[in-house]
Amino acid sequence: MSTQEYKDRQFLAVIGDEDSVTGLLLAGIGHVTAAPDSQKNFLVVDNKTDNAAIEAAFERFTNERKDIGIILINQHIADRIRHVVDSYVKAFPTVLEIPSKDHPYDPEKDSVLRRVRRLFGE
Amino acid sequence: MAPTDDSPSTIDSLLERYLSLLDEYTKLRTALNALQSGIYHDIARANFAAERGIRFGQDYYDARMHASRKVEIRLGDGSGEPSHQQQQHPVFAVISCVDKCRASEAGETEAETEGEQNPAHSDADQQHPSDKPKQKPSSDPLRWFGGALSTPMPLRQAQSQAVQAVEDIIPRLATVNAAMAAVEVEVRRARKKRAKAEAAVAAKVQQEGVQDGHGKGAVAVL
Repeated sequence: MSTQEYKDRQFLAVIGDEDSVTGLLLAGIGHVTAAPDSQKNFLVVDNKTDNAAIEAAFERFTNERKDIGIILINQHIADRIRHVVDSYVKAFPTVLEIPSKDHPYDPEKDSVLRRVRRLFGE
Repeated sequence: MAPTDDSPSTIDSLLERYLSLLDEYTKLRTALNALQSGIYHDIARANFAAERGIRFGQDYYDARMHASRKVEIRLGDGSGEPSHQQQQHPVFAVISCVDKCRASEAGETEAETEGEQNPAHSDADQQHPSDKPKQKPSSDPLRWFGGALSTPMPLRQAQSQAVQAVEDIIPRLATVNAAMAAVEVEVRRARKKRAKAEAAVAAKVQQEGVQDGHGKGAVAVL
């Protein structure tokens, strides 16, 4: 693992519903890059947001941007792009699924706990 | 005798370590759930108490926000103690860089302003750069929602819980996740080695059996 892989990864990114993103931005993790790009490190997802937009944001945070260290995604939103989240195996950025207001954390869906089951089920 | 990489005791000790990491992961998850619940509850209280039509959400986000808490990643074993057996994995930390970020932002703003301005500066301008009005964006996100005085108390409480989640729980969860992934690799490697060793022993035993059979057969013929 080379230092180059992680040394510039300084931001947390969030893909979540409005309250989740607001809560985390209150902690001071929000960042908008300089114009003209003005790239945000968060995506507010509501009922109107289609899965392609969520997938595109996930792709942008995981592959295109090299300044993201941790991605936080609401578990119910991760479910909407489950095939993409589960096939993501890179060490950086690391992806953590977090609960949302209306969808409590479900250990059955947690990718880490699924890895645990695979390890002991082998 | 020292345990080899593929010995059962090595795999057992790896699994023991894995289970302790799993325990830590579960505890951190519980703590994160509690904090997140508190944050949602406080935001809901703030919205409930707000004036009609006001909702503390994305409409109030600052379009030029700069992160005041950033991730720091290094390699280590997470314990801080020297270890030769454990594989190194990424250790995550979230650091508050309010002063440092403000200084760097001010530097960036200054550089941008200078770049945008006419390059033909007068000497007087250069001598008194501090006279220019500087607009420093506040690094406190609470200011997006109405300034220091009019921010509702529940929103402040939501912020303090969010800071705790971001600074304490989330980086530890990421670190434990990385440590678990590293142990998984070691366990799989050790299991493969053990399977190979067992296959080699079985093949050897089979070969010896065949040789013994031939030997006995030869004696019987004689």
